[in-house]
Parts: sequence; C-alpha cells; structure tokens
Amino acid sequence: MSRKTTVYHRGSEETAPVALSRRTLLGRAGALGVGLPLLARQSASAQGTPSPAAPPPTGEPITIGASISTTGSNGRTGQYQQEAYLLWEEQKNAAGGVLGRPVRMVIYDDQSDPATGARLYERLITEDQVNLILGPYASSVTQAVAQVTERYGQPLLVAGASAGEIWERGYRSVFGVYSIAQDYFRDIVLNIATAQGYKTAAVMYEDTIFPTSTAQGAIAHCGEAGIEVVVEEQYPAEATDVSSALTRVRDAAPDMLIGGSYLPDSVLITRQAKELGVNPKLFAFSVGAAQPDFLETLGPDANFVLGPSMWEPEIETEGNADFLAAYRAKWSRDPDYHAATGYAGCQILEAAVTSAGEINLEAITEQLFSLTMPTVLPGQYQVDETGKQTGHIPLTVQWQEGAKALVAPEDLKTGDLVLPTPPWDQRG
Amino acid sequence: MDLLQVIVSGLLLGGVYALLAAGLNLIFGVMRVINLAHGELLMLGAYATFFFYDTTGLNPLLAIPLVAAAMFAGGMVLQRLTIERVVGQPLLSSLLLTFGLSTLLTGVALNLWTTNFRSVVYEPLTGSLGIGGLSISRSRLVAFAIALVVSGATYVFLRRSTWGKAIRATAQHAEVAQVCGIDVGRVRLVSFGLGSAMAATAGSLVAIVFTFNPEIGRVFIGKAFAIIVLGGLGSFVGAFLGALTLGVTETLAAYYTSTQLSEAVAYAVMVGVLLVRPSGFFGQAES
Repeated sequence: MSRKTTVYHRGSEETAPVALSRRTLLGRAGALGVGLPLLARQSASAQGTPSPAAPPPTGEPITIGASISTTGSNGRTGQYQQEAYLLWEEQKNAAGGVLGRPVRMVIYDDQSDPATGARLYERLITEDQVNLILGPYASSVTQAVAQVTERYGQPLLVAGASAGEIWERGYRSVFGVYSIAQDYFRDIVLNIATAQGYKTAAVMYEDTIFPTSTAQGAIAHCGEAGIEVVVEEQYPAEATDVSSALTRVRDAAPDMLIGGSYLPDSVLITRQAKELGVNPKLFAFSVGAAQPDFLETLGPDANFVLGPSMWEPEIETEGNADFLAAYRAKWSRDPDYHAATGYAGCQILEAAVTSAGEINLEAITEQLFSLTMPTVLPGQYQVDETGKQTGHIPLTVQWQEGAKALVAPEDLKTGDLVLPTPPWDQRG
Repeated sequence: MDLLQVIVSGLLLGGVYALLAAGLNLIFGVMRVINLAHGELLMLGAYATFFFYDTTGLNPLLAIPLVAAAMFAGGMVLQRLTIERVVGQPLLSSLLLTFGLSTLLTGVALNLWTTNFRSVVYEPLTGSLGIGGLSISRSRLVAFAIALVVSGATYVFLRRSTWGKAIRATAQHAEVAQVCGIDVGRVRLVSFGLGSAMAATAGSLVAIVFTFNPEIGRVFIGKAFAIIVLGGLGSFVGAFLGALTLGVTETLAAYYTSTQLSEAVAYAVMVGVLLVRPSGFFGQAES
C-alpha cells in the first residue's frame, strides 16, 4: 500500500513534482504523530510564464496553513479542496504573490477525523506559526477546528462546510464561503414548488447532522410557503431499505418528495420509489442528485430529479472560465464544487489581506466582515454579523434526458425546468 | 394491502441477510471461529461482480458462479494461511485475527477502489413486477430467489453428501469425528471455502440490489450476527428463518413506527425472543 503523495521539493533548483511513497515521506518528516505536511513551494519555471506586468514576488513567503481530509471517509471530496488550494498558490506565485510576497501552503491530512483536525490546526498555529489559515473539509471537522482558530484569533474561512450550527456558537472570526445547509432547498421550495402550485411534501432524511440540517431547512421553507409536510421520516445512516416509509409516502401521495440524503440513500430512495410506484410530481435530494455518479448509477431513472448545487462548471461568474481551464490543466480532471468553494476561500482571503494591506489578523478579520466581492461561486461573498454567508446563491440542477441542466436561478440558468415528473409507468 | 406489501418487502430483504448469515454460521459451527471478516468477503464479492459487469457488460448474474468459485478457492487459501492457526485457541485469538483481516481488507479496498459508491445496474433487473396490487422489486426478487436456491442447495449438500455429513460430524464433535476417520483439517478447509463462497454470492446480490463501497461489510455483518444468535448458533435452518424474521420485523417496525426506530424495534423483539428461547430458534444449549 504505497500511498503516493505528490510533493514539491523545497529549494529553487528543483522544478519537477516528485512522487514519494508514504514511507519516504515519513522518513523525511521525522517522527510525526499524525498527518504529513505537503510543503509546497514553487519556483518560477514550474508554473509557466508569469504575467509580464507582475514582478516576481520577493521577501519572506506568507505561509498559509490548512488540514484537509485527503484520506479516510471524506478523502475523495477533500482532495478537490486541496487541489484548489494548491492551484491558487501556484497561480499567485506566478502572478506576483500577495502583497508582493510569495505564498506557501502548509497542508496536513486530518484523515477525516475531527479531533485530528483540531490538533493539526493547533500545531499549524503554535508550532509552524503560519501567518494565515484556510478551512478544512467537512462540517464535523470544521466544528472542531473553529474552537481552536477562534482561541488564537485566527480568522477561519470555512471553505468546506455548511452546517448552520457553526455560526450559532457566537464565534467572532469564522466566515462562511457558501450557503448553509438549511438553505439548500430554499430555491426549490420557495420558488419552484410555489410556482408549480404544489401543496404537499414528504421529507425523508438521514439522521446525521448535515442531511438533517438540509431537511429541517426544507421543512421550515415549506411552512413559509404554506406547503403541508404530510410525511416526515428519519432513517439511519447506512439504511438498506426504505420501502416501509415509501409505502406510507405512496398512501399520502404528496406533490413533492424531498430527500435530505447523500448519494447512496438518494439512489436507494429513487430505486425503491420506482419499484413501489411512488409518483410525486417533483423529486429533490440534497446531495447526490448533482453528482455525475447519480446518473451513472441510475441511468434513465435519474431523469427529472432536482438537486441543489453550490457551483457548476458552466456558470458565468467572474474568473470561472479561467479557474476551470487552469484546474483542468494542472490536475487533469474536472473540478467539482468542493474545488470551487476551496478556490473561492482563497480568493476571499487574498482580497481581505490585500485590503488590510498587511498581515494583521484583526485588520483581516475586519475586512472579512465588511467585504463584498464576486468569487467563482454564484452570487457574491457577503456575511452577516455572525460570519454566516448570505450572498452566495445555491443553484438548482435537474437531470434531463441523461444530462444535467442548470434550471435556477433565472439569471444563471442554462435550461428550463421539466415538471411535473411523469409517473414511473409512463416513462419512455 | 399495504401490510402485505410491507411483509413482502421484508421477506425479500431477508433473503440476502440469510445467505450471509448461513455462511457465517457454517464457519462458526465447524471451526468455532467467529469470522469478523465475513462482511469483507461479501464486499469482495460485490466488487468482483461490479468489475465483471463493468468490463463484459454481460448479465451480472453470470458472474455469480465465477465469483463464488474464486472465493471458494480464495477462502481456502485464507483458511490455510491464517484461520487454521487459531482453531482450538482461545476465542480472543480468532476474534483478533478476523478483526485484523477485516480492517486489512477494508483498508486495501479503500486504497484500490476509493470510497466511491458503486452499483451494478442491469436494465432488465430494475423496476418491479405488479402482482395483484403488490409491487415486487425485480432485483430483490431475483436476489431472494438466488439466495433461496444457494442456501437450499447448501442445505441438501450438508444433509445428503458424504462431505456434508463429514462437515456436520465435525461441527457436532471434532474429536469424535477425527477418531471416526474424518480428516477434520480438510473439513475445516472446505467449510471455510464454502462459507466464503456464500458470502461472496451474497456480495454479488448486494451489488445488484444496493449501492456499496469498501465499508459495506460493516453494514451487513452486524445483522448477520444478530440473525445467527436468533436462529441458533451453528444451525443452518435457524439462520435462514432468523434472517427472514429480521427482514420482516424491520420493515413492519419501520411501517408502524419509523425507519429510524426500525432497527431498535427489531433488536428489541430479538431480545424478547432470546429471553424465551435463550439458544435461539434452533440452537442447542451448549453444556
């Protein structure tokens, strides 16, 4: 099991990334308890031609620390965020740095474990003495990490988490990058469902923090819109059967079926809904519906399903096309929205530092409260007095004939909604 | 009608549980080894079926005999290299060994295949049959039928064939079996191979019915243990009935209470059964 990690040698003469086995890295890094640092420092020739206008960065590098789940259960998604951080670092160093100084990322792997994440941020701040930090991946890790960063007065840009609870603890320097989970279904319920005249909904959700938050948000929005929730059903993570709940949903015959769910349960609910002939006019799932895996797994049965998305490659936000091209060139794959939120986190941090004009944590915190700015994400960066993101606009996507269409909001959409969903036995 | 629908769904769910539990029980019966890695054998079967379908595009059910044969051989190798060393040792040795195997297999699978969820979606096996107002999932019905056939065939094999009798004799009393001229070492080898093949077949069915990733074993192993305790440790028929009981109890509990509570209710019912019958439906009280 040689887990390969691409690292860059420190020092200016080496230009090529080299792959080191875990063993070599461990040897190099000495007796580290957990996590392996990805010490990345670029030399000019490694990033193509720097823009002629920008003089090469000089002076002591600005160090930016983060831990990300690049292994463990969140590893796959966390890697996107890490790749976005590293892409931004490379781009900045090629384009004159930040405040004229080069930037250097120090990234550890928290192995998807909140306690490890908290310990690594403690270490980044106290031992590595990084100048700034960026957020980890996943709500659970972020909740643990926020307690640490708050204690040291380090502003935390939450580039990989959306649980609303993070902003209910009275933290003074924790800033959201994208919408909180409670708002994932806002557009679908308040705009789409009301426009269709839907009156009833069934809400099914996994009983863990993030899916529950998305579902509770949906239920609250249903209340606002006067839509009656006729079935509300929680199920355990790793449920293998939801046929009993769906039998009750079938009896209640709601207009909408909303799932606070991850990919496997979104697939399970859709499959069993088909098998049992459950025919709401609208299906929507919080996670999974927007992922290509959903279509790959379900094939034509994925059609008509709606889902929220924090970002889509084709949206025309400022710098998005460049981000997409640069990401593809560097990592030879398409970014998903976790890469985009990570990248947006970097953009926001940079803007705050530039506005502050110096590495002064209080000044940067102040900037992060007052800034409004466009990022690659839809909407804009804007936070309320708790640091919660309010300017980001979640997108709504729908699978249509085997392709994903961006159907809302109005000013960004690339396709039209197709509703109502036909009953299963009348599909082609 | 809803009630009947819920019961049918429960029975279909129980089929896959049954196959896994029967293999686990066979291994326990013959070796007195609680195989904590049994869920990972299921996981390997699921991946093998997925890759078979992904590369050939053929009916995934055709993979089942191949996967079962491969896991029969693989199980025997695993038994000879590791399990055989802890037979007759204190229970803790076998628990530690199989727990280690479980962690190792999951870890290797995570590295090779990532945490991505996969599923075998074969068009003819999607959707459902409508029979007299009941909706019966095609994939679950096929899985149930296969589980029934494989378990039934294994049962007949254990009852009728010479090898089967040797296996049962060894399970009843290994020393006496050995005195009677049965090569108990080979019996253990074959039994573990057989149990592994059954787990792998259950895995093939899981691949067709559910989405899975390298951690799927954990989901099913807990149920399998509950089932063999309920059905009676070492009892093949007991495991089968226990599995169907668990499936139906789960769906009924989910229907009348909630999906979230269904496992808790199902296990509470089991505790109740065990209070009345401490050795399960078909278990023999051990002296």
